[in-house]
Amino acid sequence: MLSLISNSFRSDASTRLESDHRMPASESEIDVSDLSIVFDGAHGQVIAVDRVSFTARRGEFVCLLGPSGCGKSTLLNAIAGFEQPYAGTILVSGKRITGPGPDRGMVFQQPHLFPWKSVRSNIAHGPRMNGKTRAEARAIADDLIAMVGLSRFANAYPHTLSGGMQQRVSIARALANQPRVLLMDEPFGALDAQTRAIMQDSLLKLWSRISATIIFVTHDIDEAILLADRVLVMSAGPGRILSDITVGLPRPRTLELTLDTRFLALKRECFALIKEQSARAFDAAESRS
Amino acid sequence: MARKKRLNFLVSLASVPLFLGLWELVSRAQIVNPVLFPSPSVVLAALQDWIASGDFTLDLISSVARVSAGFIIGSVHGIAMGILTGRSAFFSALVGPVFQILRPIPPIAFVPIVILWFGLSETGKLFLIVWGVFFTVWLATHLGVQKVDDGLIRAARMLGTPRRRLLYEVIFLGALPFIFVGLRTAVSISFYTLVAAELAGAFSGIFYRIEVAQQNMQTGRVMAGLMVLGLISFLADRGFASLSQRLVWWR
Ligand SMILES: Nc1ncnc2c1ncn2[C@@H]1O[C@H](COP(=O)(O)OP(=O)(O)OP(=O)(O)O)[C@@H](O)[C@H]1O
Ligand SMILES: [Mg+2]
Repeated sequence: MLSLISNSFRSDASTRLESDHRMPASESEIDVSDLSIVFDGAHGQVIAVDRVSFTARRGEFVCLLGPSGCGKSTLLNAIAGFEQPYAGTILVSGKRITGPGPDRGMVFQQPHLFPWKSVRSNIAHGPRMNGKTRAEARAIADDLIAMVGLSRFANAYPHTLSGGMQQRVSIARALANQPRVLLMDEPFGALDAQTRAIMQDSLLKLWSRISATIIFVTHDIDEAILLADRVLVMSAGPGRILSDITVGLPRPRTLELTLDTRFLALKRECFALIKEQSARAFDAAESRS
Repeated sequence: MARKKRLNFLVSLASVPLFLGLWELVSRAQIVNPVLFPSPSVVLAALQDWIASGDFTLDLISSVARVSAGFIIGSVHGIAMGILTGRSAFFSALVGPVFQILRPIPPIAFVPIVILWFGLSETGKLFLIVWGVFFTVWLATHLGVQKVDDGLIRAARMLGTPRRRLLYEVIFLGALPFIFVGLRTAVSISFYTLVAAELAGAFSGIFYRIEVAQQNMQTGRVMAGLMVLGLISFLADRGFASLSQRLVWWR
């Protein structure tokens, strides 16, 4: 069954590749079209991402919302250049992705800081690797350290910082190359509710000062609506985009907004979609076992 | 709790004197043949004699030079090969099986063939120590490289780290805690192998002197040699442990 599906993917892909001459709209920073990603798992092939298409405009904040295992990370990793498309294309700034690059910063669910480098050196690493001098890299790092409010900890080492502080460093590090795109994979997922609220707030402030396009993965509905210009709701695996919801709430946004009736209406809409999907995923898992 | 700790520390200070005292007692009591089992005071006198003869310095330098040279050459190659096989499945498949078969052969088993190949030259002795060190360090590095957090590698690639720099910046440093465990094991191995190397025929060296003393029935000097061997390998191990703690402090 799976091989049949994948065969149809393949023919799909080859015909699409040949006829793919259209140019992306000039202001679209990220253009994902008909993207499918398949893994060779232990029990045969797994379709992680199933013919996903979406675009993100320059400077837009887009949240990918979906239940666990629906392929959010896989999609984000593909945009980062860590996963190869099985079919379909990803364009960033009009160029096809061939691998990871400094034009796309990424913040992972775990901070993944270099444990042998200080906060400053972690952040300066990117600029150093991209031809900046030691002094230039240091200046960039110090600016970002101030921006994420860690000036007192510039010389500290990651293991001496709290989870929230580590994730701030990770965000600063991802921004150090001045990427056009910032990819964030449940960056606050491992934090407690209070720290998370603070981090959301400071991310929004930070974003208002930079011009990056952000793709932010989460399975927290409140977080998605609070942060995003648009929320893309994904189906339970194989991941597909079910709905593209424009949030349209005024900025700057604060936590009080979560009590606003417009917020609640959006939340209800997302909740209905997610609930149905989770139930479906659960049933599928049940019938399989 | 703190009091118990302090008591244990005092006991640990008393450990060596207590041992020496007991040894002296047993030896003086003539329970055993004092020629075969000389007391610590006799051993100390033998050591002084050895030092006064001028042989000691040469023996010490010869042995330490052999161990250090073999250790450094073996480790450098072990680390380089470990990074190569740890990163490349192709190289791992190519040399892994051969290494796994050669690795368990005790270096001392190579003494006869080394004498045939190299005679009594220093090259042969170096070969034995390098052999002993190389496989241990190779295996530790190989495993360490494979255990480097994939998230760190991804983070580095995301930041635009060139492949070449990635090897040092992330792979080597990430594997360093494992490499140091291997290196520390290799320190002890290099001393075992030193014995085998000097057994293969030498003109100076701590263990060489032990052999000569044995032939002359100088039991005091034999024991002094053993003490010196124990002391320098202990110091090397301790020095290495504190060095590794300083260099991989983030662990
Ligand atoms: N390297 C891999 N090899 C095989 N299957 C994989 C691999 N990575 C992901 N998958 C599968 O792809 C599907 C999507 O995984 P993914 O990690 O993208 O989900 P997710 O939406 O990020 O989930 P979560 O919210 O739990 O992080 C899952 O079924 C997963 O088992
Ligand atoms: Mg995920």
